[in-house]
Amino acid sequence: MSSIELRDLTVRAGSTTLISEISLDVEAGTWCTVIGPNGAGKTTLVETVAGLRRSAKGSVTILGELVSSMNERERALKIALVPQHPVVPPGMRVLDYVALGRTAYHGLLRAPSATDRKAVDSVVARLSLGEYAHRDVVTLSGGERQRMVLARALAQGTMVMVLDEPISGLDLRHQMTMLELLQKEVKECGLTVLATLHDLTLAGQFADRLVLLDHGQLILDGPSSEVVRSEELAACYGMKLRVIDVDGADVVIPVRR
Amino acid sequence: MVLVAAVTLIALAAAVVCGLVIGPISIGTTRILGDVFSHIGLGRSTLTPTQTLIIWQVRAPRMVLGLLAGSMLAVAGGTYQGVFRNPLADPYLLGVAAGAGLGATVAIVDIGGGLTTPSWTPLLAFGGAMVAVAVTWIIGGRGLRSSTSTLILAGVAIASLFTSAQTFLQQQSSPDSIARVYIWLLGSLASASWSSVLLVLPYVAICVAICVAAGRALDVMSVGEDESRSLGLRVRRVRFIVIAASSLGTAAIVSAVGLIGFVGIIVPHIIRLLVGTSYRRILPISVIFGAAFLVFADTIARTVLAPSELPLGVVTAVVGAPVFVLILSLRRQVVT
Repeated sequence: MSSIELRDLTVRAGSTTLISEISLDVEAGTWCTVIGPNGAGKTTLVETVAGLRRSAKGSVTILGELVSSMNERERALKIALVPQHPVVPPGMRVLDYVALGRTAYHGLLRAPSATDRKAVDSVVARLSLGEYAHRDVVTLSGGERQRMVLARALAQGTMVMVLDEPISGLDLRHQMTMLELLQKEVKECGLTVLATLHDLTLAGQFADRLVLLDHGQLILDGPSSEVVRSEELAACYGMKLRVIDVDGADVVIPVRR
Repeated sequence: MVLVAAVTLIALAAAVVCGLVIGPISIGTTRILGDVFSHIGLGRSTLTPTQTLIIWQVRAPRMVLGLLAGSMLAVAGGTYQGVFRNPLADPYLLGVAAGAGLGATVAIVDIGGGLTTPSWTPLLAFGGAMVAVAVTWIIGGRGLRSSTSTLILAGVAIASLFTSAQTFLQQQSSPDSIARVYIWLLGSLASASWSSVLLVLPYVAICVAICVAAGRALDVMSVGEDESRSLGLRVRRVRFIVIAASSLGTAAIVSAVGLIGFVGIIVPHIIRLLVGTSYRRILPISVIFGAAFLVFADTIARTVLAPSELPLGVVTAVVGAPVFVLILSLRRQVVT
């Protein structure tokens, strides 16, 4: 069964078409990564799936329900978002930031319930944020912050998560840690992930499936090992790419012409 | 947090006592308190009828109106800062002050004739304030679809327009009218009465309650509009309710006491320095501290140059700015 279904999705900004007639299915409990050069429409796609942008044509369905027919609260109970540039409000404690993920459950006039607190504590423990729990969010390093943002999304308790460049600005170790944490959630909790990544090697190593976008159009959709070796991928980036096997993992290397 | 709440409550109690006790005619704290307690069946009052009149018909309504004005302006400033995610936001951001100023000027200079009775000034000030905010909301893309920065820019434009119209009217009026408009613009509690208290009380009670209840929503909104929406917050609806409540309450207060500046911007900042950035803590404590702050300021305003009075807006700035700087420097020392 598909957790995310896109049908002929077209998104425009004024007269400019950002993505055009994209159809895509992401199976439950799988990880699909959207790749493509800058301006391909990756962020637009993620924001539209998360309900933050309106489509000009076509539809987005999450767990069988049209995104356009849901209000913010209903959407937050079905899909969580990790944005590319999360706002980190100074003065807020890490624990309070993660607890924002429970907003859709307790509403605005009631305090978080015992269930909400338990959910937050569980995520904080799973992502090893316990030692930072009472620190101001602005005191965290880039890697710790990104884990905190992931924790907030996981605290939403949804079965679907969309992530826009979740590892941008992180060093290699933190990139790997972040993606491994996410993969653990996919495997152990059956989370469905739709992410965008620039790093083709990491995209290929972690996703079950890659979707290549260029100029707002879906160019290729298939298993990671096939997409990273495709001619279309090199053509989209306008450069020569080599793929080498390192201990069973595909490594994509750009080659200077 | 508990300590700050306790201190602000003590400050509020002290402000109430100051508001009743301090004045050009010395009556004595214990006798005034004895009279207050006699109203709840404890002991007997020793005040003369004249003294009773001074306490209950002059000082008490003035003090209560000060409490209402201080709490409303402070909480409105706090909610505006939260909803616009802008530390410089104050309750007059969307044109309330300019609209009220124009309305009051129309009443005072009496352009249409027949509006010079004092009762028209608050009415037209209130109407002007609400018209200004409504026009700002409509021009700013009905606020629902536009960004907060569009709304702020629309507020700046409308405020300029209304202020220009007010300046033109003032220029056309008599020196006496200009003086009265000027006095109104500087804000004062001198004309307070129980009827003015009862007039603004329902607005303030409802609007303060809505603003305080919005604290949790404003905390969520601190991560920006898109993220708040992805967390389940109906941002545009919350923004409309909060802005409507803040503007309505501010308009009601401004119509009764004129333009009192500084309270709406400085009180939430002082409280933020003391209790942190959560609006769930800032807003309720701002209500208490704002009320106490304005009554203290009014006590200074009416006693320093007695029998004449200092403009209240001048006192709030002169008292508020050093307090703010002091807390800011103390907090920096603690952090470093």
